[in-house]
Amino acid sequence: MPRPLVLSLDGEEFSVGLFKVDRADLYGEVKIEAFDEKGNPASIRVLAADGNTLIDKGGTALEMVDKDGNSLERKQIHTVNLKGKELKPVESSFSHVNVLKQATVEEYLSLIVKSVYWIQPNEGESVDLLLEHLKTGRIYKFPFSYRDGIESDEAYMIGNGKDAFMVIGQCATLQFVKFNQNVQLDSTEEQEISADDIDFDLL
Amino acid sequence: MPINITNPKNRDAVVATEGLLPKREFRYVDEKGDPVHTQKVLKSDVTHDLPELLKKRKKLDKLANDLVKGDPEVDMESVGLFLVDTSRVYVSKRGIIHLVEEYEVIMNPDGTERERRPRKKLPQNINAEIPVRWTGKFIKKDEAVQRFVFINKRQLVHVNGLTFDFLFEMAKDLDKRDSLLLLRGGEKGNEPIVLNRGGKQYNAFLEGRVKGDAYCLIMHLSNVELKKPKELDGGV
Repeated sequence: MPRPLVLSLDGEEFSVGLFKVDRADLYGEVKIEAFDEKGNPASIRVLAADGNTLIDKGGTALEMVDKDGNSLERKQIHTVNLKGKELKPVESSFSHVNVLKQATVEEYLSLIVKSVYWIQPNEGESVDLLLEHLKTGRIYKFPFSYRDGIESDEAYMIGNGKDAFMVIGQCATLQFVKFNQNVQLDSTEEQEISADDIDFDLL
Repeated sequence: MPINITNPKNRDAVVATEGLLPKREFRYVDEKGDPVHTQKVLKSDVTHDLPELLKKRKKLDKLANDLVKGDPEVDMESVGLFLVDTSRVYVSKRGIIHLVEEYEVIMNPDGTERERRPRKKLPQNINAEIPVRWTGKFIKKDEAVQRFVFINKRQLVHVNGLTFDFLFEMAKDLDKRDSLLLLRGGEKGNEPIVLNRGGKQYNAFLEGRVKGDAYCLIMHLSNVELKKPKELDGGV
């Protein structure tokens, strides 16, 4: 049973469950299998700069280091805004009521999407009001944080005419470009990306 | 990353595309207020992973005992090594290999195998001799967002005065229509967009916004519709 998320729309509160929707759930996926010239299975590893050290998945970690390269513990790290003022942590969205505010389609189109969830009402609850609003083409947003943390993402409630979805991501910095703000064309060679889904089914 | 694109009058130009970054309004500092950054470090290499440790000890119980008594999984010489300039290589039981045969295994949504075939790497088609087409097929923004999930975005930017006019007019046209334009690649102008060789195929839609004498042209990329999987159709 997914964790209940409590939403508020036009003063009415209702609790919903989130069901993650992945591309693989809709269309399937493509896995890549590799073999050497003798037919032995092969897989990708990371090779360190020494040309000798091979690292498998799970063999690396991310450390926070200071300007001298010394490792820091979490309690030694502070989060500040761009003016240097310390920020208060953000609470998980599952710990309070989340008020939905109407958003514009341009705001939604600025979203760099991280994940998509299908919304279902929890037992004894109804999302009819939300579905009614979404069917008219309205979009709603609220700050969303899965767990307590430094910053929240943006969650947008959007419908497809039948169901309600929650699309989570972060808003991009869109820059309006003037005449004297041209860029240089990048002349680097196109790079191959690593083994990945290349399925583009059914669209 | 350059893109070769046509306008409604079928004039083509090569312009730049840039990735879009999220707004970041915070940073991490240490107790002195100096900036900190993340660094990828080595935890263990393949010679200290479970399969290798098990090879020497044969039994899991023996390995478990060794792990309790000591740290056979840690190489004190290399643990914590800062990882920079790494490469990705293919490895088989013969070691690092350079000649690789790749196969695509196409899986159904239920996890069953549908097909198996030699891997075909599609070439990129956004900066090819044949430009990405202004198809003339528009979809209202409100309708587009209810049908597709735009999982990737790139902003188109001019590289000189001529391409400023070229892109500004496209943005103005799209802004007026309040619609997204379907972009297509390939010789017949009917192929999805591929940004990198061997990469994913996307349906690309162009959005234009204008503010005074400035424009913003965004290419929205989608390879998934806004709908729920069949397995959830019966409710949960």
